[in-house]
Amino acid sequence: MNPWRVVALARRIVDQFLRDHRSLGLIFVAPLVIMALLGWVLRDSSAPSPRVAIVNLDVASAPSERVRGALTEAIRQAALPLVEVGADEPAADAALRASAVDVVILLPVGFGAGLADGDPPPLVIVTQGVRGTDDNAQVEVVLRQLAGALPLPPGTASILRRSVFGPPFIAGPPDALASFAPALIGYFGFFFVFILTAISFLRERVGGTLERLLATPIRRAEIVAGYSLGFAIFTTIQVVLILAFSLSGWSTPDGWDGPRVAIGLGIPSAGSPLLAFLVVLLFALGSVNLGIFLSTFARTELQILQFIPLVIVPQGLLGGVFWSIESLPAALQPVARVMPLTYAVEGLREVMVRGADLASRTLQLDLAFLAGTAVLFVVLAGATIRREVV
Amino acid sequence: MSRGFAIPEPATGTTPAMEAVGLVKRFGAIHAVDGIDLSLAPGRIYGVLGPNGSGKTTLIRLMTGLARATEGSVRVLGVPMPSRTLLARIGYMTQGDGTYAELSAWENLRFLAALYGVRDAAPLQRVLELVELADRRGTPALELSGGMRRRLSLACALVHDPAVIFLDEPTVGVDPALRVQFWAHFRRLADAGRTLIVSSHVMDEADRCDELVLLRAGRVLGRGTAAELRDRAGTPDLEGAFLRLGEPVP
Repeated sequence: MNPWRVVALARRIVDQFLRDHRSLGLIFVAPLVIMALLGWVLRDSSAPSPRVAIVNLDVASAPSERVRGALTEAIRQAALPLVEVGADEPAADAALRASAVDVVILLPVGFGAGLADGDPPPLVIVTQGVRGTDDNAQVEVVLRQLAGALPLPPGTASILRRSVFGPPFIAGPPDALASFAPALIGYFGFFFVFILTAISFLRERVGGTLERLLATPIRRAEIVAGYSLGFAIFTTIQVVLILAFSLSGWSTPDGWDGPRVAIGLGIPSAGSPLLAFLVVLLFALGSVNLGIFLSTFARTELQILQFIPLVIVPQGLLGGVFWSIESLPAALQPVARVMPLTYAVEGLREVMVRGADLASRTLQLDLAFLAGTAVLFVVLAGATIRREVV
Repeated sequence: MSRGFAIPEPATGTTPAMEAVGLVKRFGAIHAVDGIDLSLAPGRIYGVLGPNGSGKTTLIRLMTGLARATEGSVRVLGVPMPSRTLLARIGYMTQGDGTYAELSAWENLRFLAALYGVRDAAPLQRVLELVELADRRGTPALELSGGMRRRLSLACALVHDPAVIFLDEPTVGVDPALRVQFWAHFRRLADAGRTLIVSSHVMDEADRCDELVLLRAGRVLGRGTAAELRDRAGTPDLEGAFLRLGEPVP
């Protein structure tokens, strides 16, 4: 391999990017803007104040009526709006449909008798069911107010004691971003680099420059190495920027008279930023060569965009960004287990949330898988650059 | 000029610049090149003429090693193609522009030159002046006119001073005055011992070539100087000769 040719190709890619300000913005600015937006939404959204109704269907039971009274008092104490919707289930249903109430707590028939036996049927909590995320947040607010308000027997306690916050590995106040940020960082390390490499190499194929390139003494391995090096430079800068923006934070001091300004998300990380960097870098190098490989199967830039629902979205859904692999349907778990994003997200969570170091078996597996797929994609990318000379 | 690898010695004496024997290239049922035997002496300008689809570009791709023959063989400077190391002695101007739109004329040249191991600025400046783009060296290829991009593409093919130069439709989009200069430079290159193989479907450029190879449907219809081909066909122009030579023998 001739290093001069590799460097020449990498330099060409750098020169091309430096002249393409939009692509620079896409790779450097867009991830930070999205991270900032998500951080803002997740941290600063106002807590919901749901309108609550309590309907006792077990009307003949004195214990049930006492529980209803206690629940009502807890809701009042929390200053949540209490709504009267009627005494039966159809009335509560109609109120939910008419959006007159957000959360209805139903004490089922037989609740009082169950209390006496020490095995009451669970309380039923019903929401409007229109926006799942909002519904969950409202139920959490209600449950938090009810938890501890009642000396309930074990059967009901199970639905009232739900912990929302708190990766226990990170010191300090709970942060909704702490467990989500590693997944986002992994996702951005993949998304933009993949798209840009695929389009860049497609242009090389269809623009006639690959033909000219292959008529020079450059080897296929040098082309793959040059592309990897050129994009690795931008990927490294991108990853450093994302990690720096995510992990560090500065804000105007308390007592500052002007508008409050914060730069960086200041997400707490339990582990080494260098290890997090290593995970994302390995993942991004694989993504560069996946982009080169898949560009073979596209003829236009529009066809590159068609890879988003085929390659990027499934990894986003199954790769552990939103749901754990174990909670996926059984048939989808093996699929998730061959996706590189799964290992990038897992590795970043191991480092940033659990504080894992290189002694962690899980992190070792994640790094090995990412390195293995990077090598595989390098080989596949090289195989698609066809020239009938050795 | 400095190079980073060993290069086969250029052909000397009687070694043909290019030699094809029983050359066939098939794409499925299509015979793009259908049994060509050809030997081209060095230091001359050859015109490969034929209509679209006659096999000109495929023949050039076989000669540059970008395609592998289905049957037969091709040697360039005595070396069987494809050969990666020989590519350092070959210049290739593709039919498309083959330039990087975001890069300036100079950056395009510098990149190609680096791949050939040329690190001095002097050859780059020389070819830029040849194609009259010295005053546009900092202009991105995207902002050059179509004719200027063709000139830049030619400069990229010549920057490493190759022994054999393949030019696929080099003068398309180039204005008449500059076309004259192009051909004058092609002549100087041939006089200096370089071999030029120029594909074209423009018959009026044929008289500038030392020898012509007429192609149709992947086969050689005839070979010779423009005057010889006209005489052989008994026609006053090459278009007529091309049609006459393509007629089936009674």
